[in-house]
Order: sequence, then structure tokens, then C-alpha cells
Amino acid sequence: MIKASEVRKTVITGEGELTILKGINLEINYGESVAVVGASGSGKTTLLSLLAGLDTPTSGRICLDTDRILTDMDEEARARVRADLVGFVFQTFQLLGSLTALENVMLPAELRGEASAQSNASEFLARVGLSSREKHYPRQLSGGEQQRVAIARAFASSPKILFADEPTGNLDTRTGEIIIDLLFSLNAEFATTLVLVTHDERIADRCDRSIVMEAGQIAGAISSNEDQMVC
Amino acid sequence: MLKLAFKLLLRDWRAGELTLLLASLIVAVSTVTTITLFTDRLQRALVLESASFIAADRVISSPRPIANEFMEKATELGLTQSRTLSFLSMAFVQNRSQFTAVKAVDENYPLRGRLIAGPAPFESGSPVSQGPVPGEVWMESRLFPSLGLSPGDHIELGMASFPATRVLLKEPDRGGGFSAAGPRILMNLLDVEATKVVQPGSRLTYRYLFAGEPQQLDTFEKWAGPRLADDSRLIGAREGAQSVGDALQRAESFLLLGGLLGVVLAGVAIALSAQRYSTRHFDHVAILKTLGATPVNIDSLFFFIFMVIGLTATAVGSLVGYLMQVGVITVLGPLIPVELPLPGVKPIWVGMITGMICLLSFAFPPLQKLRSADPMRVIRRDVEPSRINDALAYLAGGGGTLALMWWYSGDLTLTLLLFSGGLVVAAVLLLIAYWFIHSGRVIGMQAGSSWRLALAGMQRRGRENAVQILTFGLAIMLLLVLFLVRTSLIKEWQNQIPENAPNHFALNILPGDVASIRSLLTANDVKAQPLYPMIRGGIRSINGKTAQARKDNRQAAQGRAPRASSGRSLTWSSQLPPENEVVEGAWWDDDYVGPALVSIEQDYATSNAIRIGDSLVFVIEGRELSAEVSNIRTVVWNNLQPNFYIILSPGSLGDFPSTYMTSFFLAPGQKLVLNELIRAHPTMTVLEVDALIEQINSIITQVSLAIEFVSVLILASGAMVLLASVQASMDERMRQFAILRTLGASQRLVLGSLSIEFLALGFFAGLLAAIGAEFTVFMLETQVFDLIYSPTLALWVVGPLLGAGLIGVIGVAATRSLVSQSPVSVLRELA
Ligand SMILES: Nc1ncnc2c1ncn2[C@@H]1O[C@H](COP(=O)(O)OP(=O)(O)OP(=O)(O)O)[C@@H](O)[C@H]1O
Ligand SMILES: [Mg+2]
Repeated sequence: MIKASEVRKTVITGEGELTILKGINLEINYGESVAVVGASGSGKTTLLSLLAGLDTPTSGRICLDTDRILTDMDEEARARVRADLVGFVFQTFQLLGSLTALENVMLPAELRGEASAQSNASEFLARVGLSSREKHYPRQLSGGEQQRVAIARAFASSPKILFADEPTGNLDTRTGEIIIDLLFSLNAEFATTLVLVTHDERIADRCDRSIVMEAGQIAGAISSNEDQMVC
Repeated sequence: MLKLAFKLLLRDWRAGELTLLLASLIVAVSTVTTITLFTDRLQRALVLESASFIAADRVISSPRPIANEFMEKATELGLTQSRTLSFLSMAFVQNRSQFTAVKAVDENYPLRGRLIAGPAPFESGSPVSQGPVPGEVWMESRLFPSLGLSPGDHIELGMASFPATRVLLKEPDRGGGFSAAGPRILMNLLDVEATKVVQPGSRLTYRYLFAGEPQQLDTFEKWAGPRLADDSRLIGAREGAQSVGDALQRAESFLLLGGLLGVVLAGVAIALSAQRYSTRHFDHVAILKTLGATPVNIDSLFFFIFMVIGLTATAVGSLVGYLMQVGVITVLGPLIPVELPLPGVKPIWVGMITGMICLLSFAFPPLQKLRSADPMRVIRRDVEPSRINDALAYLAGGGGTLALMWWYSGDLTLTLLLFSGGLVVAAVLLLIAYWFIHSGRVIGMQAGSSWRLALAGMQRRGRENAVQILTFGLAIMLLLVLFLVRTSLIKEWQNQIPENAPNHFALNILPGDVASIRSLLTANDVKAQPLYPMIRGGIRSINGKTAQARKDNRQAAQGRAPRASSGRSLTWSSQLPPENEVVEGAWWDDDYVGPALVSIEQDYATSNAIRIGDSLVFVIEGRELSAEVSNIRTVVWNNLQPNFYIILSPGSLGDFPSTYMTSFFLAPGQKLVLNELIRAHPTMTVLEVDALIEQINSIITQVSLAIEFVSVLILASGAMVLLASVQASMDERMRQFAILRTLGASQRLVLGSLSIEFLALGFFAGLLAAIGAEFTVFMLETQVFDLIYSPTLALWVVGPLLGAGLIGVIGVAATRSLVSQSPVSVLRELA
């Protein structure tokens, strides 16, 4: 489903070149859930954004859904891939402040020009328990509620891959748990491939396996089921 | 997609995101619409008014009847026509006689302007639609006492006798020109034959009057011009009112300039608010992109939104502009002495097209930035749009301005000059703004906490603030420039016809009468110019070469250049007449005796290729006189004083029989002095130009009003820019201050530091404005308006104070409500 080979990312900063990712190779299978863990600044977010096609690597090759080679595409084509395949959940929710909760959830379908956007969106809002808040604007919702809207939005477009970058980073433990439960139950239901960046070991444990990042490289992988290190 | 666009639009509108953008655009459109509508109407009125100086739109003047083909052509083009015939004749009543200027008119006269006639001399009358019917004549007021007549009595003109039934109080084309000498008798063209005064050899002036639509008139002019005989000339409305021409031209340039400034200011406001709109929607676009929106999607989304904004603004703006113009005219109506014709539809189009160009060139570039919003922004906030798009924004804005300027002025050179001048000024001002900000921080280092906070803030956002100072500065500068130019223009016009300017000319004064006229005028307290000797004469040769009669009649009629060989009024004087200035050579000494010297007016010298040291031979009364050109002189033609092309040194005209002339001012109550003068000196001719002066004054009043009005409109655009500019910087400031508040800064500290920041910005902007305005006014007054420039010291005080005051008030007013809110709600607002 996702295949990255020799992915490198270098940025030019004030103090010269900075290599953030130093040759990443990974493969994630269809329906798999993968946690990306590692110290702050190790390059997790960078990796995620490259895999999702939000940014382009300096070198290397990324391929989604076996035949969609992100690294050969222009922005226009990558946008189309995102619309077709990918859903996002961000640490900072990223809802459109000028649209209501319902309208936010309808957004991906509308971008694809689908007609039945509204009923579908209502359904998903109900799934995350926010039926009564359809007409509310993001600023009238709590952080946890906003994140639930974001999850509803992510799943409403029935993506094949869901990327989540510290989805509970801005929430308290209790709310975080609710969000994660929601995420995993929907993930299971739709058999979505999940790539999730987190600092929380308990969340990582719920994934099929974890990838450990260290200074721009994959330091190892932990298969949760067997709970042992494979090098 | 369309639904989404509509939804976003509606939301943005409700959230107030579009208010400023829409308002700026509406101001741009309505400013242009109002100005063009108003100028259009005023211009039509002024054309009509100046047409009344010749009682028609076009006149063919000829010493003999012109061929019928001219009238046929005019009929074919749908022009209305009228004919007049003027001649000088003696009028007799028993034993009294008076030299009079007779004008015979048909039933269509006048085509433009009005005849005013009344029942009694020296009293007020009422407009009449046509001249006397056959068998009657009308006479000017002062002819009644000088011939000892009352209305209804008969006078003899040539072989016929007519009752003088009414008093002619005003005729539109009385105008200046020495040929109009003598008190007027108006009669019907059909009666001329009966008088038998029209004989071979009599001096007659046939005038053929035409009026109609501008296009037909132009066609007629092009057709008739080359077909006219050498001694006929075609006169247009402009040439008929030369003294007003200059004032009109300047007013037009001013209104044009004012309109342009308005648009540029509104354009800047549009650019600023579009910029703000696009930065505030950056995250939107980034999110939309992570959700799979393609750049094309984004483009069509915002294209739709902006088209809706554009169309709404142009529609509302045109309507507002139209209503404003109607309102203005209703309010000013009583002050505008002429009736304003209805406006055409063109101004509406001009406003709409301006709105669209403004939107395209000023608003689309910031929007283009939106499409390039990187979806990475969702993850990393510091991802900024590329800089190339900034250059594009400036380029597009500049291009749009250039296009509009060119379109309005129709003059590419002027446009390029103004534009490049503006660019240079802006660049220099930007540098100075940077420098201000830098020195601001140096001062701030030693200051208290509010100050340090404010100036550090200014320094941190150095680039944005420099641009903002420049924007504020330019807006204030344009306002100052407008105000200064307006003030000096109006002052100049008022000076042009000073109160008590001579409004009567006396000609044909015999040398023997000079002393008694002088004393009579003094006795009646009349302010008079010196008496100048005057004699007709022509130039026969220049440096031995015979002066050629110049073929081009049109040119002679338009310019002031006469034909070298034709007769001119010559004078001699020991002193340089007032308001004349020697530009080459030197004026002769007061007590000069010696060979004849001559002083020539500059344009006359140029058009006849006369240089200093040339020897000219004049023919005066059949005799020759040769004189050497000793100086070239400029003359202020419209000062309504005796002015001469040719002035000879004292004594050179000594042997020639000359008459004298002068000019003097008569207040309305002094008008009867004329009768006394004329009765005592019947050979003298008096030319009354008081009516003409009144007409000029009325035009100047209208034009001044128009200018005041345009200035107010520009002020509105300027305020718009200031507001937009403050708004544009608000988010960034508020975010910073909300964080400060969270950290425990007191409301006073925050507000104090904000006020200082705005006051400082305003102060620097005002200072910049003063620098820019001084320079621009200098260029404008010397290059465009031909005024005399003098530096305005007050500017250097008013500019910075005005800037600090305006920006301070607007800035604090706009931030105050936000500062008093809790920081959380501010942060949520901005999220
Ligand atoms: N555009 C950029 N310019 C400069 N440095 C960058 C850029 N993008 C990433 N970095 C640097 O690369 C490193 C990795 O960043 P990244 O955001 O991927 O880390 P992370 O693993 O997600 O950290 P965290 O757990 O704190 O979110 C960091 O040191 C960051 O400062
Ligand atoms: Mg991260």
C-alpha cells in the first residue's frame, strides 16, 4: 500500500544544509496500522508529510496504492491522489473556521463533486457523537469535539489510508482515549491503512507495529503482537 | 464546487472578512463614476457656456457672403444655423448723431447663450428667445441718453427709420476684440436692405452661426476648413473664450488628476484588503489542499468569489456614484450659474471598467498567492508563499495603474512621466522609511517599557512596517498634494481677474482730448490705466525681405500670431507696461532719444521669425518707418489691460497722427459716467467688457466648486487606504498583544504601546508625506499647471502632525475593542 525507498529530505537553513531524513526505506501493507514513534525532532512529522504527498523528498521514491508514484507527480496530481486515497487527522485539528461542523465534514466530498455529501456527512458526525453540534462553528467547540469533527471528516471520504500526526497531542488523557478509541474502531470498520505518529506508548501498542525514528533514520521496528524487537 | 464557493463567500461576508475589500472597491468605482459624471456634465455645461461667447458652437466669419454649399452641408449634417451681419454706421436723431456698431440678426439668433432685453435703459431685463422683429430696432442702454431718446422713439439708420422699441441689455457674443467698438444697435436682417448702408466697399462682417452635436460639428469643421476663402475664418467655442480657456484646461487636468489619485488610492486600499483576505485564507487553502483540492479547484473557487465581489461592487459603486452626483448637484445647484445638461452613459461604463481593472490588477495578485499555499502549512506554520508572487503583485498593480492612467489621460508621455516619477518617489520614500524604523529602534533602546515594546515591535516587522509607512505616507502625501495644488489653482484664478480689474476700454481718443478725459475720470473717482497712444500700422519688411502674407487662416485664428503684413495696433511708451516682462534684450531708458527702437511680443516674434537686432520697416498711414528690434517681451494677455504686440520707443511715432486708448474700472453704480464721457468726447469709442468679466467669473466659480468637490471624494479614498492599511497589520499585532496579555501585561501597557506604535508610524508617514508632497507639488505646479511655485513651510509641521493624529486615532480606535477583550477570545478569533 505504501512503499518508500531511499527517501532523503534535506532543507536549506540559515546555518547551511540540514538533513532531516537520511534514507528511509519502509513498506506498509494494506489494512495495516503503523505507529511512528521517536524523540522529538527525529523527523516523524517530516516523514508523514512526505508519505502523504504534502511535501516532496529531496531524493528517493514514494509509492502509494502500488501504482501511484508520488515522487513522479506534480502538485496537481498529488492533490488528486489526496482526494482519492488519503485522509488526515492533525494535532491542531485544522478545521475551516468559517464553516460549520457539518460543512467541514462535507468538504472532501464537495471537493470531489459528490452529490450525496450532506447525508453522508451527517451520518459520520453522528458516528462521532456530535449530531447535536452540526450547525456549530469550530470556535464554539472544545478541542476534543473539534478533533472528533476532524475524524468524521477524515473517514467521511472513505480513504484507503489515514495519516494522523499526534491526534491526541493537544488533548487531555481522558479525551485522548476517547479519540483514539474512535479512531481505531472506525479504522477497523473501514479497513483503512493507518499511519499514526505518537509519543504515547499505549497508543503505539494498539497498532499492528511501530516504527522507531531516531535522528532521521529508522532505528528499528517493533511488532506489537509479538512484542519483541526485530532488527 | 460552486456551492462551496458560495458558502465560503457567504460566511466570509458574515464574518466581515469582505467588508473592507468590498468597501474599497465600491469607493473606487463610485469615486470614478461620480467624478466622471460630474465632470462630464460640467464640461458639457462649460462648452455650452463658452459656446455662448460666440452665440454658437462654430462660427464662420467673413467680410463677404460665403458660398451656399456651406449652408447645404450644415443642413445635411443636421446643424441649426443663423446669420448675422455687423457694420459700423452713424445713427441720427434730428440734430444729434452717434457712431454705432450695428448688428443685424435673423430669427434663429442666438443659437447659444441668451439675449437679455428690457423696457428701460440701465435697468434689469429678461431673457428673450430672439432679436427684434422686422421694422424695429433695439439699442444699448447708453445710446438712449446719448441720443436723447426714450424707448419707442425713432432713429435713422442710413435711409431708413426705425422705432427703438426695447433696450438691449446683454448679447452673448458681445465679447472682446476691438472690432466690436461702439454702442450696439440690434436690428433684423430683413431690414438691412432698406437702410442702403451696405454698399460696395463698406466694411462688413458676415457671421454664419452653427450649432449641433459635437460629432457633426467636427465633421463640418473638417469639411469646411479647407474650403474657406483666405479672408474667412472658422471659430470654435474654445477660441471664442480664450480668456477662460486656460482656466478650463487647468481645471480639466486637475479633475483628471484628482480622479486618478482617487483610483490609485482606492487601488492601494483594494490591494491591502485583498492581501489581508488572502493571508487570512492561507490556512483555508492549505487545509483544502490536504483534502485533495487541486490548484485549479482553488483558482476557480476564488475566481468565483472575486467575480461576485467585483460585480457587486461595480453595481453598487455605480449606483452610489450616480446618486452622489445627483446629490451633489442638488446641493450645489443654486451655486452653479449654468444649467447642467444631463449626463451621458459613458461615465457609468468608465466607473464599471475601472472597478474591474482595479480588482484584476490589485486584488488578483494576492489571490494568486493563495493558490500557491503549501499544504505543508497545515503541519508547519512557518511555510510562507514564495516571494516571486510578491513581485507579480507589484507588477500587476503597477500595470493596472498605468493602464488606468493612460486610459484617463489619453496621453502616454504624460502617463509614463507621472508614473515613473511616482515610482522614483515611492522608492526613495521606502528607503527613508527603512531608515526611520532603524533610528526608531535606537531611540527605543533608551526608553520606557511601552516605548521599548512599541519600537521593538516596529523593528521586528521592519519590512511590513516600512511598506506600511510608505502606504500611509503616500496616501497622506496625495491628500496634501491635492490640497496644495487646489489652493494655488483657486488663488491663481482669483488673482487672474482681480477685483476692480479694468472692465471698460476707451479707444480712438484724440490727442487733444487726453487731458480732459484724464481729469474727468479722476473727478469721478475712476481707477484708470495710463493712456497709450495707438496707431494702425503693418510690417512691410524684415531685414529687407518683404513679409509674406501667411496663408494659414486657421492658425492665425487659433494662435495669437497675426499675419506679419496685416495691420496692427502700434504704440510707443517710455516705460515697460505693467505685467510685461522683457525676456531678451533690454528695455530702453526712460529718457531715450535716438533712432527708432521696437519691442516685440515673444509669440509674435517667434511666429514671424523676428530676432533681436533685426531691422523692421513699418507702413503707417502710407509712410514708412524703420526701427531696430531691441527687445522681446512677454505679455499677460488675459489681464484685461491694454496690451500690444508692438511697442516703439518714445518719439519714433511723433510725426504720425495717433489716437490714444486706455482701460478703466467702473462699478455697476458708476455706469452713467460713461454717458458723460461719451457726450463730452463723441469721437471716442468705449468697449464694455464688464459682462464678459462676469461670465468669466461665473465659470471660475463653477470650476472651483468642482475642484472642491473632487477633493472631498479623494479624501474619502485616502481614509479608505488608511483604514485598510491599519486593518491589514492588525492580525499580526493582535496576536502579539494577546500573547503579551496572556503573559500578564496590563491593558494600559498594551494600549500604550499600541498607541505609540501607531503614532510613531503616523508621524514618520507624515514626515515622508511632507517630503514627497513638496517635491510633487513643485513638479506639478511648474510642469503641468504653469503656476509659480513657492515652498510651503507649514507642510513640514502639518504633515507629521496630521499623520500621527490620523493614524493614531484610526489605529487605536480599531484596536481598542480587541484589547479590552480577554486574550483567549482574541486568540480564538485569530485562530
Ligand atoms: N522546513 C524546515 N526547515 C528547517 N528545519 C526543519 C524543517 N522541517 C523540519 N525541520 C527540522 O527537522 C527536524 C525534524 O522535524 P520534525 O517536525 O519531522 O520532527 P518530529 O519528529 O515530528 O518532532 P516532534 O515530535 O517534536 O513533532 C527538526 O529538528 C526540525 O527543526
Ligand atoms: Mg511532529
